[in-house]
Amino acid sequence: MSYVNLKTCAALVLVLLMAANVVNAKGDDFNSVVKMIEQFYGVKHVGIPFLAKAGMGVARTAARIKGGEAKRLAETGSIKLAVFENQDFNGEFTKFRSTLNNALNQTWSPLVQTLSATDGEQVYIYLREAGDKFNVLVITIAQRDATVVQVNLSPKNLALLMKDPEGAGKAITEEATILDQE
Amino acid sequence: MKTLCQTKLATSLLALLLVAASAVVTRAQDSRLQLSSLDHLAAKASQSVDVNIDEKLIRIALKVFSDQDPEEREVKKVVAGIKGIYVKSFEFENEGQYTAADMETIRAQLRGPGWTRLVNVMSKKEGNLEVYLLMNGETVGGLAVVSSDIRELVVVNIVGPVDLDKLAKLEGQFGIPELDIEPAKPKTKNDEK
Repeated sequence: MSYVNLKTCAALVLVLLMAANVVNAKGDDFNSVVKMIEQFYGVKHVGIPFLAKAGMGVARTAARIKGGEAKRLAETGSIKLAVFENQDFNGEFTKFRSTLNNALNQTWSPLVQTLSATDGEQVYIYLREAGDKFNVLVITIAQRDATVVQVNLSPKNLALLMKDPEGAGKAITEEATILDQE
Repeated sequence: MKTLCQTKLATSLLALLLVAASAVVTRAQDSRLQLSSLDHLAAKASQSVDVNIDEKLIRIALKVFSDQDPEEREVKKVVAGIKGIYVKSFEFENEGQYTAADMETIRAQLRGPGWTRLVNVMSKKEGNLEVYLLMNGETVGGLAVVSSDIRELVVVNIVGPVDLDKLAKLEGQFGIPELDIEPAKPKTKNDEK
């Protein structure tokens, strides 16, 4: 009897721990990534994650995506954006990549990562399923600026992203920053 | 005493389960190459691209690609059954940025059991092109392409049933670079490694 009770308690604790872990990991990865960039590079972001306004067309960004027909990529109100301006992002980017991947690999799949030693640009695109939606996280770091964007994509726009990850990643970042300025 | 026996039984079952699970994973990832030995080249490359499309992302692709769109329908057909697509590509401004030892970390894996180099594969691009198939009996279990030039190194690894025709259809999709491979009938030669 005591064995059964102990087993039940252990199972309950395990389930609670797992649930807490999932909520923690899924809930706030965007903020964690922003904080990680701040700590790694000793920088501060200037934008606060926000919900983008609805109904603003950004066809010019979508036009750059191969096979792109959508007027906009991100689902209305799903954009979270953090911007870092005019700060130094010099450092070991292979070390940064490995830190980032370790932090996100539990809940996100790294789709494409590009690094350019010549111009110091790094682009990371991660993807995860969130119920019937798809979350995409795009991190772009240049020598003096950086952006972190998280959006929800429809299945149709996710297909565009998967066909042309680099093009769609750039378009998502442009779309988020344009919406921020409007 | 009964509790101790139950605990031992539970532990043994758990251990057995873990061993069985790891065996399944090992079997499923036979044709997955370990490419992380090339990661250090990113620091020297003017441009490096790392594509990781695992089984989960393939499943998502199959879900979101439309049957109504002819191009997406074709890609769906090609990736159905594939368990992963992995690409590492590096472009360098100067010569000699990657070494024979870097290449060897990949080629050593491709000398493993089941891998066969296709010898009659051509590319319109300059440089060396090596294409390998992993055969599991009569079926293809995976494919690897190593394309190297003095200023460029590309490794493509597709896990699962795939052939050159399928690879050609995937070029330019999912971040796979244009390799300009001309599919040919697979005359194989085991010793050519």
